[in-house]
Amino acid sequence: MSKSVHRFALLVACATFFLIIAGANVTSHDAGLATSDWPRSNGTFFPKMVGNLFWEHGHRIVATGVGILTIALAVYLQIRERRSWVKRLGWIALGGVIAQGLLGGLTVKMNLPLAVSAAHATLAQLFFLITVSLAVFTSRHWVTPESSVTENGAGVSLRSLCVAALAVILTQLVLGATLRHSATWDQDLPTGLLLAHVGGAIAVTLILGATAATVLLRHRTEKYLTRPALVAATLLFIQLLLGLAAYITRVASPYDPQPMTPMVSVTVSHVACGALVFATTIVLTLRVFRVLRVDRQEYVLAPA
Amino acid sequence: MFSKRARMWLGLIAALSLLSLASSCGGPKTDDNTNTGDGGGKAYTSKGDEGTVTGRVSYTGAAPEPKKIDTSADAACSAKSPNLTNEDWVVKDGKLANTYVYIKSGTLADGTKVTDYSTWPNMPTSATLDQNGCHYKPHVLGVVVNEPITITNSDPTTHNIHFTPKNNPDWNQSQVNGAAPMTHKLAVAEVLVPVKCNQHPWMKSYVGVTKHPFFAVTGEDGSFTIKGVPAGKYTVVAWHEGGANGTEKTMEVTVPAKGAATADFSFGATALGQPSSLQMLPAIEFPMMGKH
Repeated sequence: MSKSVHRFALLVACATFFLIIAGANVTSHDAGLATSDWPRSNGTFFPKMVGNLFWEHGHRIVATGVGILTIALAVYLQIRERRSWVKRLGWIALGGVIAQGLLGGLTVKMNLPLAVSAAHATLAQLFFLITVSLAVFTSRHWVTPESSVTENGAGVSLRSLCVAALAVILTQLVLGATLRHSATWDQDLPTGLLLAHVGGAIAVTLILGATAATVLLRHRTEKYLTRPALVAATLLFIQLLLGLAAYITRVASPYDPQPMTPMVSVTVSHVACGALVFATTIVLTLRVFRVLRVDRQEYVLAPA
Repeated sequence: MFSKRARMWLGLIAALSLLSLASSCGGPKTDDNTNTGDGGGKAYTSKGDEGTVTGRVSYTGAAPEPKKIDTSADAACSAKSPNLTNEDWVVKDGKLANTYVYIKSGTLADGTKVTDYSTWPNMPTSATLDQNGCHYKPHVLGVVVNEPITITNSDPTTHNIHFTPKNNPDWNQSQVNGAAPMTHKLAVAEVLVPVKCNQHPWMKSYVGVTKHPFFAVTGEDGSFTIKGVPAGKYTVVAWHEGGANGTEKTMEVTVPAKGAATADFSFGATALGQPSSLQMLPAIEFPMMGKH
């Protein structure tokens, strides 16, 4: 394990988060088709960055940067990392970012079909999951855990709660991405998807809330676990407020001359905060799996 | 190669990706605002007794104030159109411009239907959509199916022209400043096809596509004239943008031989259209948000 590898993995995860924000800006500005070209923009790799081309081409530049960083990380892991499964995860990340770039190009060339755009947004979150995981796997605390927490078999398993929270958040992110890509600012919001997203928010609140509460109640002295649990719960609260604000700003200016700065900034913040909730839940889940030992009581039958 | 746990995670990821694709796949949207009946392919022969449909479209109540558009994202737009406003509701002395009026259906005096014909005398042969001052001229355009629409860029900046129809194929092309005009045709009747520029998101226009030449767009005085209409009974529709799908007003008229029928329409504040999400979710409706 190398400290520099961990720092580099952390850098790639942060760059991926920035890329998600850049992508959210493309959707909120309705800039995905600001040019019909791909990979070039209006016939050049260096177009004049005016109007919505700033967001679309800017997204491509940031994505290229993340792609280069991911190549470097995969090679770095291959050279410096001893664990073969971590090396393999580095190459999976590289495959993910290449697939993501191709999906991005495909959706532009096909004039943003909903299925491809939603898949592009979903793969973004999955790639983020991989980069955050790599940052966790290369950390000192992961390699040499300073503590081990024991949990008796009674009550709901914390591991199961964490996995459920992660799954429901990812599903919610998929729903949110589909909602965003199915209605640009000049169209009505699809009510069914909107209700599904609201339902998803309730499910995330219940499950992630229960997960954080369980961590705080059972392992309150274990900062390695309580920190990400508290951060996730705080971010979830902010995310719910941002979701409400995103809805209000969206319905307040659906057909006004664009760009509408309040709507764009709030919806982009909502996407960014959603990614952060996901990231902290990934960290919490991985840490729980690393340090938690389940003590299964053995029952011995009394002699007859 | 992978442990059982890793395989479980990969399976979960694959399942969620499939969920994403499945949740986003929907059937094609339908639009019942069009006169899309498949014509019989007959050619109408003029009898020399055709008439006209004329009228005026007015706006009742206080007209919405034009909203200033922030064009600062592109200096070329700011320089050429420093005071650009939206054109959703252009009202002058109570008369409404940019309303698309067309014959939706009807029966000719000889008992045949409008939709029985695909060829009419004096079918328009070309139309032009110009990008000038970072807005479209005209704002509302009428064409017949397969009529070539010439698209020009008169601005010192790049635009992209994006037709977003429901019944015709989506079409998006970039057009740099100084580029030669482009041509686009719409093969299926559709009222109306929104056109936008994703580069400059405030730019929008609408193109009405019909199988016959019986349409018109109101001028600044709200008036329109549809010429060459055979004698008969017709359903005339006035369409104006507003909301996601616009607002329609319908009227039945009878065109006498060599005569004129009048069709006056009126739009008002209630015609502005509201997002359906507000209507569908009254529990989280914010009354102050409904005003436009």
